[in-house]
Amino acid sequence: MEGIGFEILGALLTTILAFVVGMFFGGLNRKITARTQNRVGPPVYQNFIDLMKLQAKRTNIAHGFMGHVAPIWIIIAATTVLMFIPILHDGLWFRNLTFRGDLIFLLYMMVFGSLGMALGAGQSGNPNSAIGVSRGLSQMVGFEIPFVLALVSLMIQFQTTSIQDLMAYQHETGQWIIFANPFAFLATILSYLGMFRYSPFDIVGAPAELASGPISEFGGKYLGTVMTGGSIFTFVKLVLMVDIFFGGAGNFGTGFWGVVAGLVELVVKTFIVYLIPVFIGLVSPRFRTEQAIRFFWKWPTVFGVIAVLWAVFL
Amino acid sequence: MDLINNLKEVFEIEGKIKNDFQIEVEAKKELVSSILLYLKNQHGFIHLNHMSCVDWIEDEIFELVYIVWNPNIRKTVMLHTKIDRNNPEMENIDTIWDQANTYEREFREMFGIEFPGLVAEREFILEGWTEMPPMRRDFDTKKYAEETFATRPGRENAEDVRETIVKRTGEEIPDFAKKYSRD
Amino acid sequence: MSNKINTIGIPTEEEIKKAQIDFSPRCTSAGRVNDKETQKMVEYILNFARKHSLFVLAYGTGCGAIEIPATMTSRYDAERFGIRGAATPRQADVLLITGYLSTKTLKRVIRVYEQMQDPKYVIAFGSCTINGGMYFDSYNTIKALDRYLPVDVYIAGCMPRPESVIKGFIKLQELIKDGNAGNGECYRDNLDWYRTNQQKIIKNWDFPDKYNW
Repeated sequence: MEGIGFEILGALLTTILAFVVGMFFGGLNRKITARTQNRVGPPVYQNFIDLMKLQAKRTNIAHGFMGHVAPIWIIIAATTVLMFIPILHDGLWFRNLTFRGDLIFLLYMMVFGSLGMALGAGQSGNPNSAIGVSRGLSQMVGFEIPFVLALVSLMIQFQTTSIQDLMAYQHETGQWIIFANPFAFLATILSYLGMFRYSPFDIVGAPAELASGPISEFGGKYLGTVMTGGSIFTFVKLVLMVDIFFGGAGNFGTGFWGVVAGLVELVVKTFIVYLIPVFIGLVSPRFRTEQAIRFFWKWPTVFGVIAVLWAVFL
Repeated sequence: MDLINNLKEVFEIEGKIKNDFQIEVEAKKELVSSILLYLKNQHGFIHLNHMSCVDWIEDEIFELVYIVWNPNIRKTVMLHTKIDRNNPEMENIDTIWDQANTYEREFREMFGIEFPGLVAEREFILEGWTEMPPMRRDFDTKKYAEETFATRPGRENAEDVRETIVKRTGEEIPDFAKKYSRD
Repeated sequence: MSNKINTIGIPTEEEIKKAQIDFSPRCTSAGRVNDKETQKMVEYILNFARKHSLFVLAYGTGCGAIEIPATMTSRYDAERFGIRGAATPRQADVLLITGYLSTKTLKRVIRVYEQMQDPKYVIAFGSCTINGGMYFDSYNTIKALDRYLPVDVYIAGCMPRPESVIKGFIKLQELIKDGNAGNGECYRDNLDWYRTNQQKIIKNWDFPDKYNW
């Protein structure tokens, strides 16, 4: 039973880590945006205060059963994907539920959260939500293609579908996959811009566009749950990128300080990757939906195809 | 000036030049739409600037003013007509310029002038209005406001705020505020 | 405090004196103390969270809305207090009544106010909400806002400058900390009185009479 106890404790710690780091990254995003615009922004822990206030609302209005369930769906999707990504390489803690068929499972599990949002927003009957949901799903058609192409190219090149094996390869040869197949990295980072839903692809949830799209009828604790799910999902996406391309966070021994050092390295690496969507989002205007889809099917798809060819012939 | 002479040949009007770029013309109400159409087609006054209404309650008339503009020679013609105040009706010039629809809707609501042939909703700005058209001069707006809306007790006579506070509590007006006193 | 609408002519001395105490007839921020002794610590923490993250509904009802972008952008940064814009009333805490309210707008504002979730605050800008301001003799605008909606903070001015707006928000933060703000429950309890006032001036009333948003 010691094994099961460790596993469950590790899973809980992973979720708490994802929640805390995701919220801090959200606050850092606001802070960096503010500093770039020459003003002092909110404190870094502002997202926690927002969450506390939203959960402390005394009345909560929902429009039916799916309205209750939709935010929970998002958290379920985010946490499930989190469980399948190794946080630290080959450690006793944080091993979670990795198995051999990881990447393919992740590809379709990541879409799950948007499905829940679509169902919940559709029940409220607000036309803004319906239009926002259709725009969001159309954009997803756009960015899924280069993402899948990049991951397939990696699967071909290294003959494996498990993230664990990819991390093992990087540790053994000492070479990061970003140098082994740079076009896959380019395709992935460009499709991540769409996944994060920052500018220029934030037409789905921006406050000025159709009164913030799918979340326009969520308030109080439902909005708080959506925010939490979004933060966990942010962390998940960043850790996936770091694990696949940047060698993952190593394990400096199995002692307590080794784990802490590994976590610090993970947070630093994910923050550096996180800066790319943030900085691009700061200076970009917003694309319309058809412009966004056209963008994703042009250069990122070309990079994805080149990545597949690279993997097959090199 | 030759514009006024040209118009005098065709219609029965009185006109004078106001300044460099404005010409005032006065006509009877039945000739208005013909004059406007003539100005638009023959003389190039293709832009309707504004339509306005003046309430002469002592003479019991409404005076309507139409202002049209010629972008080539950059001059405006201001056309005045007088209609009866007790039974106000005017012709609809919606077919000449589309924007006259909105102006005439406003006149219908605010002054009570009827435009037979005007196709537009009755309610424009005021919702559920059952009193007299409010822009007429015999509508006592202050009395209506006091009766309908709840007012702030103690502020009805709209005195200066500092002096009201001084009268109530006996505080001193600071030196920098004394020069803004109304006395 | 009867159900009669309080419209009076030129006030007498004693009416002025009485009005000084009885300034806002029903839901006022002063004097309500949070009296749940057992949950004082919890309420303290929750009020700390509420006052440091205010979601303002991005709705400008009158001419004061021109001061809101000035307050939110770089020079008089309001985001350092945690204030950010919200898109819909379901997500918002604070409703800003920025200036005059015609009867047409009042009907929509009431609907918006009732869609917000408790605890909710109303900040009234400008002198038009206090005593009618520049439009004191108009047939179409309301003169005293708190007969129709409960108000927490008034900010005087025509229009108040961004520094005054920020001072108003800080006053609201102090009221939240003492537990005196948030008149949503009081509005629901006194709904008859508010409905009487509102129906007197809104002629084409088509809401349901009960509060069921």
